[in-house]
Amino acid sequence: MYVNLKVHDLSFTYQSLPVLSGVNFEVKKGDVLGIIGPNGSGKSTLLKNINALLKPLKGSVMLEGDNIFKMSRQKIAQSMAVVPQDTSIGFNFSVYEAVMMGRVPHLGRFQKEGEDDRTVVKESMEVTNCWSFKDRSVMELSGGERQRVILARALAQEPEIILLDEPTAFLDISYQTEIFDLIKELNIGKNLTVIAVLHDLNLAAQYCDHLILLNKGEIYKIGTPDEVITVDNIQEVYGTKVIISKHPVSKTPYVSLLPRIQDKFVKAISRKIHIIGGGGSASSLMEELFFQGMQLTAGVLNVGDKDWETAKNLGIGCTEELPFSFLSGEKHGENLEMIKNSDSVILTNTPFGRGNLKNLEAALFAVEKNFPVYIYEGFDVRLRDYTGGEAADIFQKLKDKGAREIANKSELLAIIKDKND
Amino acid sequence: MSRRPFIILFLIGFALFSMVVTTTIGVADISSIDVFKIIISKIPGLTFLIEQDWPSTWDTIILQMRMPRVALGFIVGASLSIAGAAFQGLLRNPLADPYTIGVSSGAALGATIAMFLQTSLNMTFQIGIPFFAFLGAIIALAFVYNLARVGNTVPVVTLLLAGVVISSFLSAVISLLMLLAGEHIRGIYFWLVGGLSLRNWSHVLMILPYIIAGSVAIMFWSRDLNVILLGEEEAANLGIEVEKVKKIMLVAASLITGAVVSVSGMIGFVGLIIPHTVRMIVGPDHRILIPTSALFGGIYLIWIDSLARTVMAPVEVPVGIITAFLGAPFFIYLLRSKRKDFRF
Repeated sequence: MYVNLKVHDLSFTYQSLPVLSGVNFEVKKGDVLGIIGPNGSGKSTLLKNINALLKPLKGSVMLEGDNIFKMSRQKIAQSMAVVPQDTSIGFNFSVYEAVMMGRVPHLGRFQKEGEDDRTVVKESMEVTNCWSFKDRSVMELSGGERQRVILARALAQEPEIILLDEPTAFLDISYQTEIFDLIKELNIGKNLTVIAVLHDLNLAAQYCDHLILLNKGEIYKIGTPDEVITVDNIQEVYGTKVIISKHPVSKTPYVSLLPRIQDKFVKAISRKIHIIGGGGSASSLMEELFFQGMQLTAGVLNVGDKDWETAKNLGIGCTEELPFSFLSGEKHGENLEMIKNSDSVILTNTPFGRGNLKNLEAALFAVEKNFPVYIYEGFDVRLRDYTGGEAADIFQKLKDKGAREIANKSELLAIIKDKND
Repeated sequence: MSRRPFIILFLIGFALFSMVVTTTIGVADISSIDVFKIIISKIPGLTFLIEQDWPSTWDTIILQMRMPRVALGFIVGASLSIAGAAFQGLLRNPLADPYTIGVSSGAALGATIAMFLQTSLNMTFQIGIPFFAFLGAIIALAFVYNLARVGNTVPVVTLLLAGVVISSFLSAVISLLMLLAGEHIRGIYFWLVGGLSLRNWSHVLMILPYIIAGSVAIMFWSRDLNVILLGEEEAANLGIEVEKVKKIMLVAASLITGAVVSVSGMIGFVGLIIPHTVRMIVGPDHRILIPTSALFGGIYLIWIDSLARTVMAPVEVPVGIITAFLGAPFFIYLLRSKRKDFRF
């Protein structure tokens, strides 16, 4: 795999306002790269710099080793095609004529379109399903049809790279999937490199191999969708709370919005709750409490643990320890700090071994400091004690000192909400 | 697609036919047969075929008065149509034509200044009038274009407004110059309202180089013009050097307009009506639209000019008045029927 496009230290200013600064990235042949970011983060500007419609203040864009700002438009158009957001063609060209214009970069000034050109155009139109209406006027087309025609025209250019600027922004979801499935098909079938500016994070996560998250003209994060689309990144760049789950089929990150309105309604009974869990024992409770508007913290959780993942996807602050490692004294201390900052502590029925015994000690610490401690679904600790009785001892102490066992989720919620402090 | 050569051939044939027929129209009653005879008798090598049986004044009427007039009419009509088609494509605006966007007024002012200088300073630079008209056209165009531009597009509304404003201003300047011109006022006036009377071969030769240069340039870049219709950014993405093509086209169209205005004054709406009508027949592809419009426009204007010569004979109506009579309603029709597209 060789590098198709290389953007080096690109900066662009518009009327002396910086729009892009120090943008660096590479796109490999056959990659699908998504550019995401809030409005005004410079996504479209970046795209226009990549295809030399705008001249950057400094930096370079290398297309297969050639500086794009020194290439003629015709040369650029021979290897790079663009599908814009929405296009209105004000004159009465037929669909076929409009797609044939994609051959212009390959034709000499007075060269007429030949058999080869007609073959390429026909193929592009068949792939995009617009051959059937080739004789209609482009002015009569619906939004989805028009976008397919524009895509056909881009394909008729026989490009190495195709740039998309929110190609489905004005289309309904059926057209969105249609267009993107098509693009993915071409990407796989023809090894076409794709760079797409996208608004829809889920679409971006689902169809792109890599993502660039832009923030105020700089690359905030670049990587795979899993690396880029995280609660923290989205919160930081978009300033909005989201939760992230997995797309049920493709397993790519799936972003759900959290309407602010919910915060307002539940604020009155919002509590600070610290959860001690692990192994997935706390996940469903965390989700429930989160949606009830509680302010949650969790700890100590091992990185990669199911509960850790849930906490991350919900954007819950937690103390984390390396995967499969003993909880260190340092992390334990952090955990105690979180407990001190909470109103109550919930302990879930995770198995205890030597590695996480300190979590149980943390719960004991909470009880001793007179924090309300609830043991949720606390089925017999002896069955999940892998410390030779040590955990069971601490458990007994907990109960003796006033930790309450509550097996029922709604009961637990009611108690937490009722409690005055 | 395969119709295109036939349309062109048919129009060439019809153009030749129209030229002959309109040459026979006039105050002096000369029959078509005689017109043919006179023309053939002047073709080197064919002279011996024809026996001269007509008064020698007819020679002068046909060869020195009617023929240059018909030729000039054809050239003017063709040129205005080419310029109109180019402006419409370039500005992506179906209401653009040299007259509505003020380019004709600019050319007229340039030419008026040249004539004014000639008469008041007793200078003669006949050949320079088209050049002055061209300068005037370019300057007016630059003003209108920059006034009308909103971002990267030239919306219809602002284009028409800017055209009207610049035209009125330029007309005022022309009127002032005419007042100052004193006894020459009548000559300038008749030229200005758009007429082809009293034109001879020297006028044809004077403007022909400008028009050929401009038309060749427009034809040369006509495919680029097609792509620019998709939008300037799109065109750039399809490999067109948009800014370069735009400049060449604007200069070429202004050159043509300047040349035409300098001999025939302001003949309005030809550049609007003809490309529009032709587009309905052959579609928007400039490679066919431009030559077809040229033929169509030429034919249109020689017939209109014949009407101008005869409708109130022996008084001759300036042809610009007739084109305005026919063009203004068409313009209104376009405005109303396409109101939606223009976001009024």
